[in-house]
Amino acid sequence: MPRLIIDEREIEVPEGTKVIDAAERLGIVIPRFCYHEALGSVGACRMCAVKFVQGPFKGVQMSCMVDARDGMVVSTTDEEVVGFRKRVIELLMKNHPLDCPVCDEGGQCLLQDETVSGGHGLRRFPGPKRTYRDQYLGPYIKHEMNRCIHCYRCSRFYQEFCGYYDLGPMQIGDRLYFGRFSDGALESPFSGNLVDICPTGVYTDKTARFKLRRWDLQRAPSLCNLCSLGCNTVANGHYRGVMRIEARFSSEVNGYFLCDAGRFGFSYANGAEGARARPLSPAIAGAPASASAALDRAREALNDIAAKFGPGAIAVAGSGRNSLETQSMLDLVCKKRGWSGPVLFPTPSVRRKTLEAVKGLDSRIAVSMGDIEKSDFVIIAGADPLNEAPMSALALRQAARNGAPVVTIDSRPVALPCGFDHFPAAPRDIERYLAALVVKAVESEAAGFGKDAEAFYRHLKEVHENFEPPLGLARLCELLRESKRPVILCGTDAIPESTPAFVSGCARLLGLAGKKAGLFYLLPGAGSFGAAQLCGTEDKTFFEILEDIEQGLVRALVVAECDPFHDYPDRARLESALSKLELLVAIDYFDSQAVGCASIFYPASTIFETRSTYINQEGRVQVAERVHCGGAPIRGGNHPPRIYSGLVPGGDHLPAWKALGQIAGLIGADEASAQTFLPPALCPGEGKRVPMAKAGFPETPGFAGGSDGKAALNGDLFDLLTVEWMFGTSEFSVWSDSLDAAVSPPLMSINSKDAARIGLCDGDRVSVELEAGAFEIAVSVSDKTAEGVLVVPRHKELEWRKMKDFSVSVAADKVRKIGAK
Amino acid sequence: MLPDELKNKLRKMIAGAESPREKAIDVMFEIQELQGWMSDEAMVEAAELLGMTPLQLEELATFYDYIYRSPVGKYVIKVCDSTVCWLEGHQRVVDYICSRLGIPLGGTTADGLFTLLPVCCIGYCDRAPAMVINKRVFGELTTEKIDRVLAQLAQTADFSGWE
Amino acid sequence: MPVYPQVLFKNRKPDRVATLDEYRESGGYEAVEKFIGGGIAHKEVIRLVGESGLLGRGGAGFPTGMKWAAVPDSSPFPRYLVANCDEMEPGTFKDRVLLHVDPHCVIEGMILAGYSFSASKAFFFVRPSYESGALILERELENARRAGFLGNRILGTDFCFDIVVHRSGGRYICGEASALLNAIMGKRPNPVKPPPYPTEKGLWEKPTVVNNVETLANIPHILRNGPQWFKTLSATPHGTGTKIYGISGKVSRPGAVELPIGTRLSEIIEQHCGGMAPGSKFKACLPGGASTRFLTGEHYDIPMDFEDLKKIGNRLGTAAIMVFDQNTCLVGATLNLLEFFARESCGWCTPCREGLPYMRELLRRIENGEGKEEYIPNLRLLCKEVWNSYCALAPGAAEPVVSLLDFFEDEVRQHISEKGCPFHAKADH
Repeated sequence: MPRLIIDEREIEVPEGTKVIDAAERLGIVIPRFCYHEALGSVGACRMCAVKFVQGPFKGVQMSCMVDARDGMVVSTTDEEVVGFRKRVIELLMKNHPLDCPVCDEGGQCLLQDETVSGGHGLRRFPGPKRTYRDQYLGPYIKHEMNRCIHCYRCSRFYQEFCGYYDLGPMQIGDRLYFGRFSDGALESPFSGNLVDICPTGVYTDKTARFKLRRWDLQRAPSLCNLCSLGCNTVANGHYRGVMRIEARFSSEVNGYFLCDAGRFGFSYANGAEGARARPLSPAIAGAPASASAALDRAREALNDIAAKFGPGAIAVAGSGRNSLETQSMLDLVCKKRGWSGPVLFPTPSVRRKTLEAVKGLDSRIAVSMGDIEKSDFVIIAGADPLNEAPMSALALRQAARNGAPVVTIDSRPVALPCGFDHFPAAPRDIERYLAALVVKAVESEAAGFGKDAEAFYRHLKEVHENFEPPLGLARLCELLRESKRPVILCGTDAIPESTPAFVSGCARLLGLAGKKAGLFYLLPGAGSFGAAQLCGTEDKTFFEILEDIEQGLVRALVVAECDPFHDYPDRARLESALSKLELLVAIDYFDSQAVGCASIFYPASTIFETRSTYINQEGRVQVAERVHCGGAPIRGGNHPPRIYSGLVPGGDHLPAWKALGQIAGLIGADEASAQTFLPPALCPGEGKRVPMAKAGFPETPGFAGGSDGKAALNGDLFDLLTVEWMFGTSEFSVWSDSLDAAVSPPLMSINSKDAARIGLCDGDRVSVELEAGAFEIAVSVSDKTAEGVLVVPRHKELEWRKMKDFSVSVAADKVRKIGAK
Repeated sequence: MLPDELKNKLRKMIAGAESPREKAIDVMFEIQELQGWMSDEAMVEAAELLGMTPLQLEELATFYDYIYRSPVGKYVIKVCDSTVCWLEGHQRVVDYICSRLGIPLGGTTADGLFTLLPVCCIGYCDRAPAMVINKRVFGELTTEKIDRVLAQLAQTADFSGWE
Repeated sequence: MPVYPQVLFKNRKPDRVATLDEYRESGGYEAVEKFIGGGIAHKEVIRLVGESGLLGRGGAGFPTGMKWAAVPDSSPFPRYLVANCDEMEPGTFKDRVLLHVDPHCVIEGMILAGYSFSASKAFFFVRPSYESGALILERELENARRAGFLGNRILGTDFCFDIVVHRSGGRYICGEASALLNAIMGKRPNPVKPPPYPTEKGLWEKPTVVNNVETLANIPHILRNGPQWFKTLSATPHGTGTKIYGISGKVSRPGAVELPIGTRLSEIIEQHCGGMAPGSKFKACLPGGASTRFLTGEHYDIPMDFEDLKKIGNRLGTAAIMVFDQNTCLVGATLNLLEFFARESCGWCTPCREGLPYMRELLRRIENGEGKEEYIPNLRLLCKEVWNSYCALAPGAAEPVVSLLDFFEDEVRQHISEKGCPFHAKADH
């Protein structure tokens, strides 16, 4: 490890560390613009110049371009380099418009900071300033090219790091321009990071434009709860509204970046005028009520039900949106009060897949997104990373950039921002493809496997022998065999129930074959891992609770941050069952349909208004701190609402767990901390993984496709699958109007051969006829969709809940063309 | 829309390359040969042929001096303004062509025949002052020579007889 | 006028390109027949070229044999050769003349260079204004192919090698080797710093050698006549070979002449260019293209080779000699050079992209009579600072400016104090 001296302080750093990073380890932050840890060194801005006094190099060099070497003596304060860096600033400011007073970057501008710290104050360049025309870049990013200092961070991030090619450098010399071929929305779903990564105000957050100054913001470390990854964020509150989300660095989770859904999907949190306003006032029978009245009323009504029908007639339900605190309180009220539940999953199938995934993970093979980036072979089984957990797709791209082959096995026409081999496979075939890949890769090592592993391996072999692998798989088997750090990424949505455990077995086999094998699941929601920890395999899901309601066993339902109208796949049955309830109590921050039918409603605080804990899909415990107290936001320069009371207007909300605890009579109004009832096993400390039991091989690796090894393909019957989209399917998409602009209309994917057989062309509109009625949708034809499946998004504009389940069979003649493109 | 004949030619050209992008400049030159300049539509079509996004092709098109992203005349007259031509009176050449064609530097004649642009050293310093018209070079320029070249191009649309 | 042996210009014809037959009659393709046809180990080619002391003629003067030897034996195939005929340095036109004189000399040089490190394909990278040269080359490549010197199994051996002409879209920076490789691959031609060196990872990550056209043209002659013969061609003991000098500006007969490397400047101007133009007196010249320093009358007798110019802090560069006379405003000339460099900066790094327009603005103001005294120290500092650029473009651009301030500071000050160009009334530009 090289030892060097920087500004008279010695440091030893790992081989390959750049001098700029070595200095940072000493707390010396050398000024820079183009250098960014995630993007690497390119030596474009020349701002990080230092003087090499002794060692293999002499003189002025860029500290980002030079590897630390033994015997180097480096000065960052030498007169010549200080002067040069000052000149670089002068050169960059030569054309800068100095519109800092109206620039949204003001106060958090690297250019501003370096200008001040570099000591450049007086303009001596006598010439005119260059000006540019800006482009329209879509609803989220404002373009302001006159501010550009041409550091290339934007285009390198956009193209190299993310793999999108509609933004880049054009022109030459001092006319250099960063933009698009023509005006239009940026195609990358990671475009919001341009705001963070630009060292000045060329790309600013349009949703926050002209609304705030950095120093006026209430900032706190937060988390994204839009999917199960738990990306780290900084939330910015102002006047009781959330103004902006920024990425917060996490080496293990999201690195430096965020997806656009996570960055811009916060507007639900701001109580506002308009159709999708967040309800801030408690209500009894639809009429506004005081906080205490609503809580008292709920407690009394539930006591009445318990007295009349027994406590088991009260059921409580949460969802994948719940924090660990809320889930724990749900668990606690059921235990203490004898209520039914907690219900944490919509259907037994979702529960089983989630539980199997969490069970299949253990500390030997669980990997983070940071680990995926360093893997050398990635298999994606039954997942669509870009749609289900967008940031994981970015991690995959980094793996691919480092040379890792990426293989997807899925029914959907998966798209990824990197090169990959896609094997379209109906859900029931996913395990076959995986078996084919893994058997070949581990067969030379199979002799040394233990007893359980051998049983599993034999099973894989059987399946493999009856399966003719498609073209191209053999080469990949070979690459997998040569790999040292393979990772399997597995979804829990459009797959059979057996797949999570099966995938876990495969990852374990790769591990036994001498590889540092990794396993990475995607779960249904931000709270799913926690839910799985608290939920037993026999615990009821919403499906069973509906039966209980129908049979009169359950008379009252409390939904905490749970909207069955969104989550449950059978709308007709849900409506009919809920109408039989005597009491529905809703605690939520969305103005959901359940809230609309609730007899009693209590507003819950959002992730920004209360400290909340989430366990992400790899078992990592993370905390979102409270950003602000929340309430009715102040908008448009108005005076605060003139309500003469001691309360914050619109401040009558509580964390769901507090409201729930009070309704159940478990805690008083002054209960401040959730720590007392959080299960200690789930609190290993922030950023750490929860302890995981040693996972075994699946005992009965029952293949979903049956034992004959042939796909049960029936030309007349399709599997109709529902899936997530990055925009348009989640509850956050429904309630955050800030995401509307990114939502595209729903499409049903179908394989080209299937489409030809039933006479459909790309763009045709079809009616899909189901028992409970029909829905209409446009068709997208692709070779990349598996044969025998139809895939639709659980889109907010689509009445998919007529399907009655998340996936159903549908006869080919029930898919009728009703219009052409 | 690019003519099919041209598209087929371009496809063949691209197929012969080590990688499609290698032919980006050749493809744009071929299109300019036919249409004079790279319109937005031509950029989109050329990018598709090359397996690039329009932006990726634009990154190249705007980098180079001999790719035109605005309409130009049938003949693009580029007068060298680098050191030796400057020394030998390139300004006189520019002024003369401007007055003869009635256009400013950067302008195009109303008949769409000529565009006048500056260009950096074209490597004919031994024959300064020099100009290049559609990749043909004319050196040791005098007003008489300029007159003859322009007259011939205007009348016969033909380069023949020149170096 | 002293007459020297003509090597590269041996077949020079007034107004005509030498044909393949004429080239062969003069001994052309003998080296290909001897070394490739005769199956002499390719290492031997590298050894002989190394021994000849041939230095790259593109401007940097890097030993050619060393460059070829830098392709590791174990490195993968295919390997590529690139002939750099971008030649966009103002004042430089030698490669153009060479191409119009004897294209097969270049082609044979490329074949031998390719053989030396087992390349299978070569790109001849040519700038747009050399289209006539490109057409000549394409025609003659076809002739060479028909004669069996190019293509599959050259002269019946296992050696397969072909050359394609790659047309540039036209930018000075493309002449920089790493930028040139990006240009061929259809990427933005920004330079890229080694490592890896192109000889290890060049075109499409494969070993690639980039040579100047004149460098390549020397190869057949070195191999045919031997390294010792090549060394005897020079006018100075430390130089090797001949050099094509391209003389332009205020001389009677501008043009390209092949002379022993190290021929004195005075001799070049007076004996080979017909002396100064009528009425002109030597004031200064740029000895090796736009990115070298003004050379004043004090060094009028200097031997024009790499070593001697280095001794006085200057460079031979491309040996493109631009001669200025007593009526030339050197502030104007320098401003013109800066116009060029600022316009041709690729825009990658700050000192070049922003620093050169800064220098241009200061010079423009001085030339236009709006100059201030403080511009002079500012310019001097900028000249130093642009050395911290990413590539050599901006440091090259600073060279004429530095020498303007070093040798003609009075002229600069006169512009400032007289609030205008003192030559304006006299000169016609």
